[in-house]
Amino acid sequence: MTTSSSPSESLTDFKDSFAYGSRTDLNFKFLKSLPDQEAAEFFRLLLLKLGAALDDGDFGRLIDHVLEWQARGYAEAKQFAYDDGPFTVLAKPLTAARMALISSSGHFVTGDDPRPLGIADMTQEMAVAKIMEIIKAPPTLSAIPFDTPSQRLRVRHGGYDIRGAQADHNVVLPIDGLRQLRAEGKIGALTDAAYAFMGVCSQIRLLKQSGPQWVALLQEKEVEALLLVPV
Amino acid sequence: MSVGHVARLMEAGGIATVIVASQVFRAQLEKMHLPRVLLTPHVMGRPLGPPGDRKRHLEVLGAALSLLQEASSAKTIETLTGSYRP
Repeated sequence: MTTSSSPSESLTDFKDSFAYGSRTDLNFKFLKSLPDQEAAEFFRLLLLKLGAALDDGDFGRLIDHVLEWQARGYAEAKQFAYDDGPFTVLAKPLTAARMALISSSGHFVTGDDPRPLGIADMTQEMAVAKIMEIIKAPPTLSAIPFDTPSQRLRVRHGGYDIRGAQADHNVVLPIDGLRQLRAEGKIGALTDAAYAFMGVCSQIRLLKQSGPQWVALLQEKEVEALLLVPV
Repeated sequence: MSVGHVARLMEAGGIATVIVASQVFRAQLEKMHLPRVLLTPHVMGRPLGPPGDRKRHLEVLGAALSLLQEASSAKTIETLTGSYRP
């Protein structure tokens, strides 16, 4: 029998360690937002459902469990709230409208690195490690021509698990699907490029500086409809 | 939430928007009084669906485009049915 001389870890320390701590996992950073008792219940039910899946092979219940508890966690997170908001009616059928795409996925084209914090070739690991600096910086919009070959696309984002986006950019940057819908005539026209930025950024700078510039950019391109995809 | 703020700015600038987001963010998006939101039963970082599932991606895009054209007032939030099954 061995004993550890290290101090015991509290449940609070354990659950918080998934959010930019010693156990960082961007799928489970929401645990930090949950009270200890609820975080404990998340793990208890996860193991219960895993045990059931060992018998019937239905691991889909684990996905549903994660979804349910991610929603609980983000419902507890700090939020912006507004009593009202602008609404623009699409003035013509989409079959005759010009459409754009903006994703907060963090994609960019090889050779056009937005260099967050002025750092070239920042790795995904660095983006996660520097999240507290990135969240105070203004966002940079990257133009991604709709005909960009997938092998020239890169993705980096300190706020979410990018493995799905690396496997298939369309899970969060649906340029292939939009091109197909355009070819089928369901969209009148697309801008030459889709756009992406790293959604983790200064909200004040987004609202006061970058955002208004992006509106002017799309107005100049005579965009009438915009698909937005957060991660 | 960044995309919510971009939507509000674009709408104020005369550009109609629709957001496609994981239902994980329902509470946050509801509070931002956004024009049109399609919530999907998909996990964070994969709001269109599993990698490689082109059929599902097109299904989501089709629902988003319908919402873009049919919503008649702000804070129109629809939820897509189904499950995330890679």
